[in-house]
Amino acid sequence: MLLECDNLVVRYERVVALEDVSIRVPESGVVCLLGANGAGKSSFLRVVSGLVKPASGDVRFHGESLLKLSPEEIVVRGVAHVPEGRRVFPGLTVEENLRVGAYLRRDKHAIEEDLERVFSYFPRLRERHRQSARTMSGGEQQMLAIGRALMAKPKLLLLDEPSMGLAPVVVEEIVEIISRISRGGMPAVLVEQNASLALSISEYGYVLENRRIALEGVASDLRGNDHVRRAYLGG
Amino acid sequence: MHELLLQTFLNATYAASYIALVAVGLVLIFGVMGVINFAHGELYMLGAYGVVAVYVGAQQSFLLAVAVGLMFVGLVGLLMERALFRPLRDNPLSGLVASIGLLLILQALAAIFFGVRMEHIPPVTQEVLRFSDGVSLPLQRLFVIVAAIVLLTGLWMFLKRTRFGWALRASAEDREAAQLQGISVTRIAQLAMVIGAGLAGVAGALTAPLVRVYPYMGHSVIVTVFIVIIVGGVGSLEGAVIAAIAYAFVHTFVTTFFDGVVADIVGLLLMLMVLVVRPTGLFGARDRA
Ligand SMILES: Nc1ncnc2c1ncn2[C@@H]1O[C@H](COP(=O)(O)OP(=O)(O)OP(=O)(O)O)[C@@H](O)[C@H]1O
Ligand SMILES: [Mg+2]
Repeated sequence: MLLECDNLVVRYERVVALEDVSIRVPESGVVCLLGANGAGKSSFLRVVSGLVKPASGDVRFHGESLLKLSPEEIVVRGVAHVPEGRRVFPGLTVEENLRVGAYLRRDKHAIEEDLERVFSYFPRLRERHRQSARTMSGGEQQMLAIGRALMAKPKLLLLDEPSMGLAPVVVEEIVEIISRISRGGMPAVLVEQNASLALSISEYGYVLENRRIALEGVASDLRGNDHVRRAYLGG
Repeated sequence: MHELLLQTFLNATYAASYIALVAVGLVLIFGVMGVINFAHGELYMLGAYGVVAVYVGAQQSFLLAVAVGLMFVGLVGLLMERALFRPLRDNPLSGLVASIGLLLILQALAAIFFGVRMEHIPPVTQEVLRFSDGVSLPLQRLFVIVAAIVLLTGLWMFLKRTRFGWALRASAEDREAAQLQGISVTRIAQLAMVIGAGLAGVAGALTAPLVRVYPYMGHSVIVTVFIVIIVGGVGSLEGAVIAAIAYAFVHTFVTTFFDGVVADIVGLLLMLMVLVVRPTGLFGARDRA
């Protein structure tokens, strides 16, 4: 297993965001985490990338516990987190945003190659590489946020609601790219409220309800599951 | 009249130079740490006392004195980050209060070590560039102008062209997203503090022979600089430079053609006007998370 999270409990002052959550992510493919607003999806990703420390439980990446590491050290280990709401750096240009994604890397040559690769995934970013990120559309900013994460040359990609607030055509485009990146050998955890979208490109899925994992299984099984159909797939 | 205008123009350029140096440092620190450093004027004062100690006291060259001032004040900035701003990182208000406390301590220390009287600093050079009868520029003032242009251009290149510069700007815009790129917020805070404090120190050192040096000299500078960063848009480096130039020109011209008190009032009115028309300042359109 690439990522093993055991019995995570996350608390913010008075709120309990996650209770006894265990999630496993294999070396390849997309694992999705479904759940309604406030279910605790983002909290889970924030624990993995070290922004939030759990009250109890463990997170292991390649067998090594991440609990004592800072977010920077976790980036070095190979985890790249595309946060909810994209969070690109508005005053930096598109290219600067991408290069900041490679901040900890020293392999100058490979950085240029990866920049080219990101541009080939997202030609729109190449066209606008000198434009400041704040002038980009929502979809373009999402592409930029994903591209920035890829620039870290990660071993695991964490995606927090990449479809949020985007028009259906744009969502389709982004989903297409995510599945292309994953087929290219990049494992990913995809957090989504849009369950049909998430299940369409995942191998395995977890459903968060009331701060706990209510259900988990192979994506095709989840798609056929009555509860999932009723609660998340609109029928 | 023509010559008076030119002369006033030169005076204003000089004023804009050191105000911009101090203001840009303050904005840089605010951008990265979210704290208004009230002790910034005292960093400027310390730079001036660096010249008192090294150039006047130890009889070393002025250039060395400026370099020592720069490094010493940069170091003080580093210590401030460690001792004040880092422990109070998640509480900008207490960072501000702590910096007010530090301001008083630094003033007291300067008074203890150097006394409260004005220091007399012999001019480094008596040389004056004469352009025509009524238009001249003392070389000492030219130093300040050149240094400001060189340092601010250097800072600009650093911020736009280097990975540390990108990281610094990224941290100022979104600290958490910066952490997710592997940027150590602590390192960047240290960097911002050293640069910001160093710029104030250089400004103090370079202007020391031209102004009245005493323990409370930071006061008048900081008031001006606060007006400048409010007009420029708190958090905007470009805004700070442009507002410093605008303020220095308005203030110097009004002082020349009316008097200093009127100029202070006009400066404040200018700030109020900007705040009414654009509450975020001229360049403060940026959304802070
Ligand atoms: N910093 C915080 N302080 C206090 N409570 C928080 C904090 N962050 C999240 N919470 C709470 O924790 C719970 C889980 O939040 P989280 O953001 O993880 O949910 P989510 O599934 O990502 O929701 P959404 O789909 O709206 O993004 C919510 O009740 C939220 O209000
Ligand atoms: Mg969320």
